[in-house]
Amino acid sequence: MASPPLFILLCSGEHENVQMAAMLASVAAVSDRPVQVFVSMNALYVFDRETAPDDRYHGGRFSREMQSKGAPDAIELFQQGKMLGEMRMHACSMALDVNGWEEERLVPELFDGPMGLTKFLSDAESGQLISL
Amino acid sequence: MSERHKIDARGAFCPGPLMELIAKLKLIEIGDEIEVWSTDKGTAADVPEWCKKVGHDCVSVDQEDDHWRVVVRKMK
Repeated sequence: MASPPLFILLCSGEHENVQMAAMLASVAAVSDRPVQVFVSMNALYVFDRETAPDDRYHGGRFSREMQSKGAPDAIELFQQGKMLGEMRMHACSMALDVNGWEEERLVPELFDGPMGLTKFLSDAESGQLISL
Repeated sequence: MSERHKIDARGAFCPGPLMELIAKLKLIEIGDEIEVWSTDKGTAADVPEWCKKVGHDCVSVDQEDDHWRVVVRKMK
């Protein structure tokens, strides 16, 4: 039996939460499970293409441990999930509007367009929703 | 004739070894095998579970001195 799609609502900009979202999304996608990631609130800033790589991730003790020990980069994990599996990422249209951003402001070739919360919630009725 | 490929993922954190395995699987022929070396403690359980789910064959899982050695055969 096919696994139900996984829907990830990523609102936190904390490195630890972004990392877990990236791990969940990439592993599910390569395990033949469709994934949709909806990025909103502070999480949007992690994907700002104008942010220098060294300044992208902020968090607590575990974030510092991951960075000092070379844990996989969260954005690279999302990219691998898209490349190797069925994964779609959407930026929250409200979060883009509040910042005055267009989709072009985000890390290139990662997002599949802006999306409203209503559409995401409707899609998520068909699978499992995880919020981070 | 099938080949065995090797991935040395020692030192890579989860899910790095699995992602390296999957990327390599896309490049090899059906019947070929990949031997993954990993120090990630989750690899010994994660790779067999992933193989069972997607339809590849986990041939063996062995613990060496300082790492796990997992062999996967591409089935499709």
